Amino acid sequence: MPTLSLSQTVQAIASGERSAAEVLEACISRIEATEDRINAFTGTRFDAARAQAAQVDARRARGEALGPLAGVPFAVKNLFDIAGEVTLAGSKVNRSRPPATDDAVLVQRLQAAGAVLVGSLNMDEFAYGFTTENTHYGPTRNPHNLDCTAGGSSGGSGAAVAAGQVPLTLGSDTNGSIRVPSSFCGIWGLKPTFGRLSRRGSFPFVHSIDHLGPFADDLPGLALAYDALQGPDPLDPGCFATALEPTTGSLAQGVEGLRMGVLGGYFEAMATPAAREAVALAADALGAHTAVQRGVEWPDAAAARAAAFIVTASEGGQLHMDSLRTRAEDHEPLSVDRLIAGALQPAAWYVRAQRFRRRYRDQVNALFRDWDVLIAPATPLAAPAIGSEWVYINGQRLPCRPSIGLLTQPVSFSGCPVVTAPLWPGGTGGLPIGVQLIAAPWREDLALRAGWALAQSGVAQVKEISL
Amino acid sequence: MTDEQTLAYVKAVAVVVGLPLDEAQIARVAVHLQRTAGLAATLEDIPLTPHDEPAELFCPAPFDSPR
Repeated sequence: MPTLSLSQTVQAIASGERSAAEVLEACISRIEATEDRINAFTGTRFDAARAQAAQVDARRARGEALGPLAGVPFAVKNLFDIAGEVTLAGSKVNRSRPPATDDAVLVQRLQAAGAVLVGSLNMDEFAYGFTTENTHYGPTRNPHNLDCTAGGSSGGSGAAVAAGQVPLTLGSDTNGSIRVPSSFCGIWGLKPTFGRLSRRGSFPFVHSIDHLGPFADDLPGLALAYDALQGPDPLDPGCFATALEPTTGSLAQGVEGLRMGVLGGYFEAMATPAAREAVALAADALGAHTAVQRGVEWPDAAAARAAAFIVTASEGGQLHMDSLRTRAEDHEPLSVDRLIAGALQPAAWYVRAQRFRRRYRDQVNALFRDWDVLIAPATPLAAPAIGSEWVYINGQRLPCRPSIGLLTQPVSFSGCPVVTAPLWPGGTGGLPIGVQLIAAPWREDLALRAGWALAQSGVAQVKEISL
Repeated sequence: MTDEQTLAYVKAVAVVVGLPLDEAQIARVAVHLQRTAGLAATLEDIPLTPHDEPAELFCPAPFDSPR
């Protein structure tokens, strides 16, 4: 049976070409056949999923209306609450917490749309990392090269989609944790506007910057999932959405008439030649439809990255102060010293970073008076080998793990929505590098339209992998 | 901040916030803090006025009078 993408799966089930049960069993077989090499999952719930899929098929048999994601198998980063399960957030420390009493809001919304939850996914401990080198649960491996990282912190979410285990996953992104795994694994990802989607029922990392969002194996499917995830949530103090703003209906407008630019300056200086080639491929493809100007300057990118780093360290460290005091040895060895350093940072650094952020927000919004979508690499390079300590970017020797987020951190600190598109430049040994399609706050529709145009051109695509 | 000053800072503040650290941890944490100090210096170069308020502001919850 040929593999179907997310949007093809929706159509096949809706038309009766395939049953939800058939689709689910194919996913379970794929997970069982590949998981020993990928290590994307930390938990599965196949029996519950079979019951959910059977409900979808029964509804269809009765002629009832199906949800927009009816029968689509999905899995979630293990910082999302699943009722009856302990929310690990990649940690050993959280194992002593009580099981969640409810599903996270976004899990509920996907299930209300008919999607079928099959399990939870590996991540960097407490989302503090870009490589999913998790000492407690093992590293998640890149399906395109098992020696390489899948990216992080939502590494399981990226690898599960790239490996064809499930067509849809959820993850979180504070400094790049959706965009980095999307880039390294060659799949589609959406980091929505800060405050767009409810975070209720997810384990926090940095309250001031945490975003949640979907990964998918095709662009129309990504938009379908995003639309199903939307909705105000007055019980989440970090959710600022007031209305549903569906995007699927406008995808086919593409980029005709949009003002598009490629970010230069910092975003070129911190990118390897392969990452710059990925951007050039995207810009050339979009240039067939609309003018794409090179060398657009993003305001204060280096300072924004510094401020994001400082806010992350302070809030992340403070959040875990109790366990750092009493059981630091149970924390992830790769990040515990960074967490402690953050907990000790002077307040002056943190407050200045937050004061800078408001000024920065206004500067970025001013930039978007002249542009609809801006393009930049998602990562400075393709996936490094697991265990790498150093990377080289344009002759600079930089520490590997923090440097992977150099190009994502300034963007998420502004709150702008970003679609990450999978590009395939040369010189990477066959590995992908993602491209960020960045729009003004609350304009996910424009970033998705640009993604749709790239997918139509064929230059951005998810490649099927034999494992 | 010199390496010695960073080590002294880590030792002192760890006591203030009640984080028990051994000498090896102090040394490792100081390396991270020193790196962040460089980033904080980058941020100091950005001019801010007294009217540049923080991005995150406390928001009072709506209050329904009991009367």
